Amino acid sequence: MERKKGLPSYPGSRSLYVLLTIFIVIEASAIILQAIFLARSVTFLFQGSAVSAIVQELLLFMLFFVMRHVLSHVQQLLAERFAVRTTKALREQLTSAYFKLGPRFAQVNGTGRLVTLAIEGIDQIKTYLEITIPRMIRTFIIPAVLAIYIFTLDKTSSVILIATVPIIIIFMILLGMAAQKTADAQYKTYRVLSNHFIDTLKGLETLTYLGKSEEHEGKIASVSKRYRKATMKTLRIAFLSSFALDFFTSLSIAFVAVSLGFRLIEGAAMLLPALTILVLAPEYFLPIRQVGTDYHATLDGQIALEQVEAIIQEQEFTEKPVIQSAIEWGPTSKIVFHELTVNKDDENEPILNSLHFSWEGNGIIGIVGESGAGKSTFIDIIAGFLQPASGTIEVNEEQTTSLMRPDWTTQIAYIPQHPYIFPTSIKENIRFYEPTATEEEVKRVIEEVGLDSLISQLPNKLDEQIGEGGRPLSGGQEQRIAMARALLSKRPIIILDEPTAHLDIETEYKLKQSMLRLFEGKLVFLATHRIHWMKEMDHLIVLKNGHLVANGTHKELLNREHSYKELIRHNTGRGGAL
Amino acid sequence: MNTWIRPYVKEHKGRMLLTVLLGVLGIGSSAMLLFLSGYLISRSALRPENIMIVYVPIVAVRAFSISQAVMRYLERLVGHDVILRVLEKMRTRLYGVLRPQAIFFQSRYKTGDLLSVLSEDIEHLQDFYLRTVFPSVLSLFIYGVFIGVLGLFDWVFAVLMALVLAVIVFFIPFISLKVTRRKFIALKKGRKKLYEQLTDAVFGLSDWIASGRVASFLTNYKNDEHDLLETEKKLKRWQHIRSGMIQFCIGIAVMIMISWTGNQVNAGQLEPTLIAAFTLMMLAITDALSPTSEAVERLPAYEDSLRRLTEIENAEIPAEARFKNVQDLRQDGGVAIELRNVSYRYPESSENVIHNLSLTVDAGKKIAVLGRSGTGKSTLLKLLTGALQPTTGNVLIAGEQANQNLLATSISILNQKSHLFNTTVENNIRIGRPEATDTEVASVVGQAQLTKLVASIPLGLQTPMEEMGHRFSGGERQRIAFARVLLQQTPIIIFDEPTIGLDPKTENDLLQTMFTASKEKTVIWVTHHLAGVEQMDEIIFLEDGNIALQGNHEELLATSSKYRALYEMDRGE
Repeated sequence: MERKKGLPSYPGSRSLYVLLTIFIVIEASAIILQAIFLARSVTFLFQGSAVSAIVQELLLFMLFFVMRHVLSHVQQLLAERFAVRTTKALREQLTSAYFKLGPRFAQVNGTGRLVTLAIEGIDQIKTYLEITIPRMIRTFIIPAVLAIYIFTLDKTSSVILIATVPIIIIFMILLGMAAQKTADAQYKTYRVLSNHFIDTLKGLETLTYLGKSEEHEGKIASVSKRYRKATMKTLRIAFLSSFALDFFTSLSIAFVAVSLGFRLIEGAAMLLPALTILVLAPEYFLPIRQVGTDYHATLDGQIALEQVEAIIQEQEFTEKPVIQSAIEWGPTSKIVFHELTVNKDDENEPILNSLHFSWEGNGIIGIVGESGAGKSTFIDIIAGFLQPASGTIEVNEEQTTSLMRPDWTTQIAYIPQHPYIFPTSIKENIRFYEPTATEEEVKRVIEEVGLDSLISQLPNKLDEQIGEGGRPLSGGQEQRIAMARALLSKRPIIILDEPTAHLDIETEYKLKQSMLRLFEGKLVFLATHRIHWMKEMDHLIVLKNGHLVANGTHKELLNREHSYKELIRHNTGRGGAL
Repeated sequence: MNTWIRPYVKEHKGRMLLTVLLGVLGIGSSAMLLFLSGYLISRSALRPENIMIVYVPIVAVRAFSISQAVMRYLERLVGHDVILRVLEKMRTRLYGVLRPQAIFFQSRYKTGDLLSVLSEDIEHLQDFYLRTVFPSVLSLFIYGVFIGVLGLFDWVFAVLMALVLAVIVFFIPFISLKVTRRKFIALKKGRKKLYEQLTDAVFGLSDWIASGRVASFLTNYKNDEHDLLETEKKLKRWQHIRSGMIQFCIGIAVMIMISWTGNQVNAGQLEPTLIAAFTLMMLAITDALSPTSEAVERLPAYEDSLRRLTEIENAEIPAEARFKNVQDLRQDGGVAIELRNVSYRYPESSENVIHNLSLTVDAGKKIAVLGRSGTGKSTLLKLLTGALQPTTGNVLIAGEQANQNLLATSISILNQKSHLFNTTVENNIRIGRPEATDTEVASVVGQAQLTKLVASIPLGLQTPMEEMGHRFSGGERQRIAFARVLLQQTPIIIFDEPTIGLDPKTENDLLQTMFTASKEKTVIWVTHHLAGVEQMDEIIFLEDGNIALQGNHEELLATSSKYRALYEMDRGE
């Protein structure tokens, strides 16, 4: 996975880094002073002073001790404030990018992934910004300042401490590589083992129907055991790197103590500086040790940052159509699609290839073809969810590169196979396009789409909660809610993508009658496999491999187009002669 | 304490204690490292004549520096080992809890990802041990040992130190738990709301755009986010205050430690060489105690997971039991399925879903079942598979009362979305009957019309389902699931809308494969439209829990105007 490396740059980041650096230098000085006064207290007592004589030393120790912690919190606060400000802006940009890139983008990238990225991903970025940034700067400054000060007290100790760092780094790299190697070697088995449990749970229903769910209980235990053994094998090596960190830092401190001891015996060193160094030695290693602990948080944050920025950039690079005059659809309007082409990311063959089509006034237009012919892509372009790679669209006098423009999208009602039902009341769901509609208007459309019998059975009538967590609706009822929404908004254009194929035949039959009433006096685009719709269409567009291969009425096409006949034969689901 | 914790603690007492003990030894080593270092340089500062006097401390300093690292390494290993052992047990238990409920998942829980949530809950509980239990017990241990050791020197001072350190180990964690609990809950709620809103936004993207209300959504969203950030800020503020208080206590503790040693030395009770030793050791001890609050503060984070696990364990399962005497119900072999005046009512409902339904299916016959959603189709299937027992009446499969033991021996089912496990194609097929021979597997692969596909992929039957670079299409996946069902060689086979979501051509091909392969079998086929019904011996329309229309295709076409209308629509005529 790609990740964003180095210190990130955002508004205010530079001044934050400068400020942090200053505070960290002061903090390092406070750490030194605190150590000095602690060492002085101890040394004076050791040399026979009374406790009352060192009160000043003790208080100064306390002062600098408090000061260093206050400074460290101030750095944290600064970093947190910056992180909140930055991630708030990022989240805002990201969410509005989702809206600008449209439903097609959401579909391709996975709704769940996008939501997770905007919430968890952004939180990971926040953690990364508020923890990693101060720590990265600290790791450079604090050990450096301490090492320099220790150098002025005792060269040998300073050399020992400084020399330890490259040793630690070399070992960490070596061990990290070894850990990676073992992890890689068993990555596949490991992944299967770790996902086995959730895979089994998801397949529990299937296992039950196969009569095998009881047998599988033993398997859970044995696979979990293998999982544990495999994990422990990896951990034994993975933990070695923190072991090395512990080992070398504490050994280094021990060496410093022992070498100081020798030189004290020889009279080559004094107790006070020796003690100061001993207090400072663990402080010297502390920032280095902390870097290791947040490795994963940092990695997650960097990956999320890279993804978020990529999406925001994609949105910025998406060309917006220039609106010269607002489009308004009416009975005498005209729409022309010129040479529309849409490319697939990974293949040479375009999904839509130089599609040309024009239509005047209202009417029902069917879009048909085998799966993969480009029906949904064409629907997405008409609905303003997708920008064609090339070609133009002309509505009335207005020439435009895409229909991703508010003056168009506010004139259409889009009804997909599974309309989204918002987790709110029926009333609010129906009023979604027209929040100001009165209850009477809502009741009228409910009657028109045939929802009245359902609603009269509900305890809360129009205020019944539906959608996620509310009363579940059948597929046909969902479609009717979407139709009511469209009807209430009086939109002149309705776009439907396979609205009835998933319904049972009786529901489909009734729903179709309601839909046909809804279509009256409107421009309708309907993509479907179901052949019973074909007769109802004023005009049909037949797509094949991204090309428009034929268009005309059902009757015309039946008489002259072999490809259409073939399509109808397949779609009757009988394969026999027509 | 919860049943999802206590038994595991009991069972793994030994290893858990070992983890804590290793932790104590690790911290003890680092305390001793600093203690001896302080002693060493103080003693050296007295410039002993013979270097051998400091020889022992020199060796010990090195030994403790090594043992500190070793102990910590071992502590982590043993700790992870024990929680993975706990995980092993919990997984088996969760599976056992979910198993009897499996068939009811769909109707019971709307959100399909409940299973992932539960599996994550169990993993989340690992943190309970690693980040809460072990660290808190460890610091209690250290606290006790440290105070005990001080008590050997001077019990008054030990009591004083016990009080000061109690602020870090008991008082602040307690306050912290109180203060943060409500904020954590508010935070969780706020995050959930953001999640819902954003899910709404992304799922309903087309509606938001079409409604022209994007701007108002964004403003609302920003306001909610603002509230959440405020709570977060307050929480962070508390965490700063808390750790400030802890640091302050540490400073005080170090100061009184120095004063005490100073006084002891002046009074001749203590060697002067021990002042530095005690002071430095104090730093190591307080370092070990300070994470207690953080560990305790996490407690509310486990509550949801525990609650969900307990809830699912206590969920009531519709009774499968109540076997009537099977013997006297036996009949001769000609009838495969018989329903006698069957009614079913869900325990919480007052109305029958299936109402006095009678149906006889002779062996080898093929029946299509249609009906609108909510007319009892899925309940009927549950009755046939024995997942539900009728409230009144009898369901007989080959003369035997329907029960789940008949699955795989008498009845097999191909669902809408059969789960294909993350393993090879062959393993997926073999799950149905692991002991099947290779010839039998090859034969069902042929019957499911998979031979060509299998030959075209490099690894053939050994291809993993989720291999990168090759994805099986919806139709292909259903064929694999169908081969698995065929391998069970049951006389009765149920198709529960297996072609839903496939395009007409794929659907038609799959139906033909299904019908050809199950020529000799009794077939119950639930379907939502009429493609293929001509080939059925009987077509049944359910309405309000009973049969509204029954007959073969020609009969219905001749007698029912409703059927005629539906059929005409389906054919597009």
